[in-house]
Amino acid sequence: MNRVVENLEARRDGEAEGLDRADAPPFRHRLIGAPIPRKEDDRLLRGDGRFTDDVEFAHQLEMAVGRCPFPHARIRSIDISQARALAGVKHILIGPEVRRASGPLTVLRPVPGAPQLPYYALAQERALHEGQPVVSVVATSRAVAEDAIELVDIDYEPLPHLSDALDALAEGSPVLHPDVLPSNLLASNKDRSGDPEGRMAEADTVIEGRFRINRVTALPMEARAIVAVWRPGARELTVHASTQVPHLVRKQLAECLRIDEGCIRVIASDVGGGFGQKLGICPEDILACLHAMALRRPVKWIEDRLEYFRASTHGREAIHDFRIGARADGQILAMTNIYRTDLGAWNSSFGSAQLSSVVFTGPYKVADGSVERQVVLTNKTPIGAYRGYGQPEVNFALEVLIDRLARRLRYDPLEFRARNMLRPEDFPWKTPSGAVYDSGDYLRTLRMAAEAVGYQAHRASPKRRKDGRLVGIGLSSFVERTGYASARFLANRGSKFGAHESVTLRANRSGGIDLYTGVSTFGQGNETAFAQLCAGILGVEYDAIHVHAGDTGASPLNTGAFASRTLIAAAGALREAAQSLRDKTIRIGAWALDAAARDVEIAGTVLRLRGDPGRSMALSEIFTRAILGQGIPAGETPGLEATAHFEPPAAAFSFGTAAAVVSVDPETGEFSVERFVMVHDCGTVVNPALVEGQVRGALVQGLGAALGEELRYDKETGQLVSGSMLDYLAPTAADVPPIELLHTEVPSPVTTLGIRGVGEVGTIPPGAAVANALCDALAAYGVEISELPITPESVWRAIAASSACSSGA
Amino acid sequence: METTALSANAKEIGLRINGEAVRESVPVRMHAADFLRHRLGLTGTHVGCEQGVCGMCTILVDGQAVKSCLLLAVQLDGADLWTVESLATGDELNELQQAFKRHHALQCGFCTPGFLMLATSLKKRGEPLSRAEIREEISGVLCRCTGYEGILRALEEYLQAPGEKETAGAGVAR
Ligand code: FES
Ligand code: FES
Repeated sequence: MNRVVENLEARRDGEAEGLDRADAPPFRHRLIGAPIPRKEDDRLLRGDGRFTDDVEFAHQLEMAVGRCPFPHARIRSIDISQARALAGVKHILIGPEVRRASGPLTVLRPVPGAPQLPYYALAQERALHEGQPVVSVVATSRAVAEDAIELVDIDYEPLPHLSDALDALAEGSPVLHPDVLPSNLLASNKDRSGDPEGRMAEADTVIEGRFRINRVTALPMEARAIVAVWRPGARELTVHASTQVPHLVRKQLAECLRIDEGCIRVIASDVGGGFGQKLGICPEDILACLHAMALRRPVKWIEDRLEYFRASTHGREAIHDFRIGARADGQILAMTNIYRTDLGAWNSSFGSAQLSSVVFTGPYKVADGSVERQVVLTNKTPIGAYRGYGQPEVNFALEVLIDRLARRLRYDPLEFRARNMLRPEDFPWKTPSGAVYDSGDYLRTLRMAAEAVGYQAHRASPKRRKDGRLVGIGLSSFVERTGYASARFLANRGSKFGAHESVTLRANRSGGIDLYTGVSTFGQGNETAFAQLCAGILGVEYDAIHVHAGDTGASPLNTGAFASRTLIAAAGALREAAQSLRDKTIRIGAWALDAAARDVEIAGTVLRLRGDPGRSMALSEIFTRAILGQGIPAGETPGLEATAHFEPPAAAFSFGTAAAVVSVDPETGEFSVERFVMVHDCGTVVNPALVEGQVRGALVQGLGAALGEELRYDKETGQLVSGSMLDYLAPTAADVPPIELLHTEVPSPVTTLGIRGVGEVGTIPPGAAVANALCDALAAYGVEISELPITPESVWRAIAASSACSSGA
Repeated sequence: METTALSANAKEIGLRINGEAVRESVPVRMHAADFLRHRLGLTGTHVGCEQGVCGMCTILVDGQAVKSCLLLAVQLDGADLWTVESLATGDELNELQQAFKRHHALQCGFCTPGFLMLATSLKKRGEPLSRAEIREEISGVLCRCTGYEGILRALEEYLQAPGEKETAGAGVAR
């Protein structure tokens, strides 16, 4: 560990009442940084996980949802008489009843300045996107409920629709929410600093470009799911749900259903992937609860994959207009960006991507800049959070334009980046959008990526291979904000959650520790990382830690797993709770062994006298004494548990550089990514296996979004035309190029142990790295790439367009 | 009504599942994955698309890897089925499961049963496969979490390892 962390450690240890530095448990360094096998694996490998659909109750009923088939339609009438008559049908809900029984969906991460849209669980007079829920039926089986949906007779009057953000902003276009807003611009905000206009005017070269980023979906392998159980006598609503944020779901359900939060328990046992999509509630969650409360019977809803594509929130989709001004000597003077995010028809629990603004200047030393975000409404499925949350979008625009500018200035793209990159001595660095980058060695990642990929050799040698294919190399450097600055920062932006994590540790009479966290388990490996940190700090065995995750009935109130923030915040809480538990254990144990506290240590399953291992006491004995209050020193209270809450003081920024090698057939545009290298820094690594898993997984999602995935709407009909797994091309094992990962480790000065977040970063650089590699390969044709996804067809069109340009010139 | 009649239309089937004989009456329109999960409580077999694309529901039917969402329960009559629940013996994971654990081949674990059952059928063929061939062979099962690297490493090791000991799931090799 480098100096920054040591100082931080020394300071914190000094604060830990009377325990001097020598008391640091011996297991700690063995565990932190070790690729320990995961706690989660055994049950999942045996098929013994408990996903929401695996939960079943006696007398359980199932729900199906009828959805609007049009992008925009008035609902003239709904006739449910035939559906109600079907044997097995128990309950049907339509718009007006839902409006009486529940409030509109609340938003956890609102767009600043945006009004609340009247988004009810079922459409009221109008449905605003294909797939919006219009009616829901509960029956003895899903099959019967679906049959009943077929029998509901709905008279729709199709209305004019919008599927493009620029059309939606055009004068005279139909307005989606005329009662709330005069236009389809939901909100806009702007950050600026310095004098971007003045610096642009000074620039020798100003380059600008418009970039379109595709609408994609997170595609967790387990779609959404909920089982709601209402016990009226106990006033207790138990909800099993596939969610990343059980405590936030509980809060939102209480708000929307207008019942006390204390009546609700949310349980997320195993979750089959989330990627930001499973943040907060959706209409179907409200519906399942309303049915369960009306019927007093358990109600299950398992989203099928066809409704998933139309109804689960989508991700990304933005248009960025980016400008960069530079001097002839290669110095960037200013950047400006105006972007529009296409929010779809309603605001979801997690609003739309704000982070594009935060990191729009990337890893570069640019003090003068401005960024304006416009959030636009269209007749499409709402956008929610998706891994990366705005950062892949802006990285594509910025990094492609950086290459173009370098070429225009006749600079090598590598040297141009290096020239403008922030140096270690520049930190902390405040960006034009007001973010503060904590620390890092950005340039080192650029150099390492270039070296690993053979950049210099490539620049020197010819690019055409014997087989006629052209070879190119492209770079993309990035920063990623991980975690949140603070609760105050979030409050200023209107967010309905804080920045803290919490944990409860409870010693048990077998000598183990029960660890309770509100963070649910959806693949990140928290159970492992939490146990690893806890065991390391306490000095007990890893196997002695039993993690109980994702149950609001058991865990302390927390925020949840998103924004790559879990470990950043949880490590602080774990550390505090573990230290307090350790201190009490040591006090009681030392007293029982008739020794001084500073002379004893916890070592695995015992507390022993330092230097005289013969004098020891089993932890199970000490824990039992403490729990019962029998055989403890006077003045100690019974019980051995600790809860701690921790808010990191600032956000940490991960960073790195990716490099792609592509080969392309200039005749057809067919291309393949032959290598992909990524150098990445997430500060102190708690478990390298988990880190590698997160980075690789996100990279493959990022490559998927860059090279094939797209939720495409037909402009004429407004219909989603890639709305099934057959049409939506997520990468299979056969589609993944060879990926090489390298890591640097600059601990963050602002987080516990120097940890930076790691969950999302892989989604950020693939688009630009591949686009830049293709442009490099096709440099002779002057090809420019400005849209995602990049497909053989789009490359072929780009070649045709540029040859047409040059022949016309 | 016709629809009511349809959902009530049932047939009795008999089959072997993880070595055990089972006899059940099932609606003719129930698919095999739902039958396993909701009738027999074998929830290890997951459902991700019901279109035969994602591979979450992969099981072994008469020794072949099959997507159980594409079969109707009534088609299982007389079949010999193996699911992920058959792989471990008591407390012990089999070689394949251990390889998955060693190579960090799972994150959320939702896809894992599909890969395990597909790999079990590949092993049964007895031919060593190159990494590129493994990629092709497993492309019918999606994983959204891992980027496939850990899965490939685990399978490479498992499929190349010479004659390891038999476990319950290997019963399908008969
Ligand atoms: S659920 Fe069977 S292949 Fe997807
Ligand atoms: S581990 Fe989550 S889908 Fe494969």
